[in-house]
Amino acid sequence: MLKNYLIIAWRIALQRKLFTLINLLCISLTLLVLLVLTALLENTFQPTGVEGKSPRMLQILTMLSYNDERGNSRHSPLGYKVITDYIKPLPSAELVAAVSLPESTTVYQAERTTDLLMRRADAAYWQILDFEVLSGRVPSAEDVATGRFVLVLNQSTAKQLFGQQPAVGQKLNVGGQQFEVIGVVADVLQLNSFADMWAPVSTYPSSDYQHQMWGNFTALILTRDAANFTAIKQELATAIVDFQFDDPAMWSDVRIWADTKLDIFARMLLQNERQADSGAATLLMIISALMLLFMLLPALNLVNLNTGRMLERSTEIGVRKAFGASRQQLIWQFLVENLLLCTVGGLLGLVLAAAALEVIESSGVIPYLQVNINFTVFALGMLISIIFGLLSGIIPAWRTAKLDPVHALKGARR
Amino acid sequence: MIKLSAISKNYHTDKVQTRALDNINLQVDAGEFVSIMGPSGCGKSTLLNIIGLLDRPASGQIEINGQLLGNYSDSQVAKLRNQTFGFIFQSFHLINELRVIDNVELPLLYRKMPATERRAKAKAALEKVGLTARMEHFPNQLSGGQQQRVAIARAMVGEPQILLADEPTGNLDSQMGAEVMSQLLALNQAGTTIVMVTHNEQEAKHSNRIVRVFDGQLVQ
Repeated sequence: MLKNYLIIAWRIALQRKLFTLINLLCISLTLLVLLVLTALLENTFQPTGVEGKSPRMLQILTMLSYNDERGNSRHSPLGYKVITDYIKPLPSAELVAAVSLPESTTVYQAERTTDLLMRRADAAYWQILDFEVLSGRVPSAEDVATGRFVLVLNQSTAKQLFGQQPAVGQKLNVGGQQFEVIGVVADVLQLNSFADMWAPVSTYPSSDYQHQMWGNFTALILTRDAANFTAIKQELATAIVDFQFDDPAMWSDVRIWADTKLDIFARMLLQNERQADSGAATLLMIISALMLLFMLLPALNLVNLNTGRMLERSTEIGVRKAFGASRQQLIWQFLVENLLLCTVGGLLGLVLAAAALEVIESSGVIPYLQVNINFTVFALGMLISIIFGLLSGIIPAWRTAKLDPVHALKGARR
Repeated sequence: MIKLSAISKNYHTDKVQTRALDNINLQVDAGEFVSIMGPSGCGKSTLLNIIGLLDRPASGQIEINGQLLGNYSDSQVAKLRNQTFGFIFQSFHLINELRVIDNVELPLLYRKMPATERRAKAKAALEKVGLTARMEHFPNQLSGGQQQRVAIARAMVGEPQILLADEPTGNLDSQMGAEVMSQLLALNQAGTTIVMVTHNEQEAKHSNRIVRVFDGQLVQ
């Protein structure tokens, strides 16, 4: 019987090409958007590769300094001194890295100048992040401690600056400073590792950065495992109780939160800068609700389409009933037809999503993006499209299967 | 074989109630060929639909093979339709998306029967109506007469005890109508009970008995 249902479903799908096409597009485009979105979200919140240690990493992107009585408020990246004085000493931290946000810098070569993004980092940065070194090496603790003018480029930048020539060993004038390229790493687009080139923090033209409370730095805190997150957060809260501002008359309080990647985005989007709870749970709920809503619209559309389609087939329903089909058998028949369409639509969605991600990656719209389809999300998407099939099929199937045969044969629509 | 007792049926349209059948008592014995005749709208098709369990009466009792159909469930009625009745409709009602052979096989789908047996029976039924060569065609590739012969093959493939035909020649020219009638007669001679609704006196004369309906009532 199932084989027969499938054959009929297939023939009906081929006979009613427009309906089949609309149905397939509806499902596959919904899945396409969901898969691409989740791939991008996963790349952001749970990256693999360079930032693969993210599950046991907290980070501090900004600090909020304020004095409510005087109406002063400043929200900015960290100064290097905050990291050395308050974050590096946290007892539960295994490693703490300080790295600047990408700064626009000009590279001077014989006949041209190139504007690139550069980060300056301490030695711990290279230990916490797992860059894929393609040639040469990354800066050592000694390079940082002695302030050597060494530079690491990513693959695209190396190619841009030196073409087919090996980049390692080349000299480069960056913003008026002479650097030697010591390594080339793979391109990457992740929160803390995105840049065109990297140099030791000690190569800043001036050592002023070491004494600044506000600057252009973020801190990466590596712990033994995620269980230490609470301890670190508590230690940080204790450490900043006696936070010493340069100008205590202007500033009285500070808020610094050690967050996971999801927390960072939640805090930023929901503007929870003054409270410990970043609102990540709320953000996840909002994302889930939006995704469900996004799926609900095509589902409702499909219910409508299917009802119309099945009622168009009321004579067939009447004939089947006259020759012995029970209500249950008709419901099954229509569900199998729907499930077949939804499954094909789901698989088509997977292929389209893979192609779309490939196009996004290669187009360079988002530089250095490397994303893959998440098969858990795909499995979930397929499950959801099967639920789509059931939901969008069962209501119309139930309505049409309960038609009296005599009314169905007359093509009645009730 | 079929016994209707005090069958009534009303139709409701907005605020108007129409009495389609009024206190019908009818018995059809095994092997009979009964024609139901009457003017348009008199209730003859409604009567045929009630006999074939395609419609439910407002009141009265139906007995099939000595079994009184009281509160039969949907699946029980479906099973009874499948095993007892075969239907031939005026406008054929073939499923255009299915090939001729699949249309003929349809009643057997709702029986527990292996696919090979179903296919063999459907082929045999098509052979009887002389359409073996057309079994891979789709209905809209056939003439009206051929479509009705496919419908006859579909109606008889499950070897039903009772064949119900609602104006089977109504949409056919006289020559095709004659072909269809000769096939119905052959089936009746082979033992199938036939109840046929018709407007055609000549065709009705082929049957054993003519039942006339007027304004929802039987007139003898």
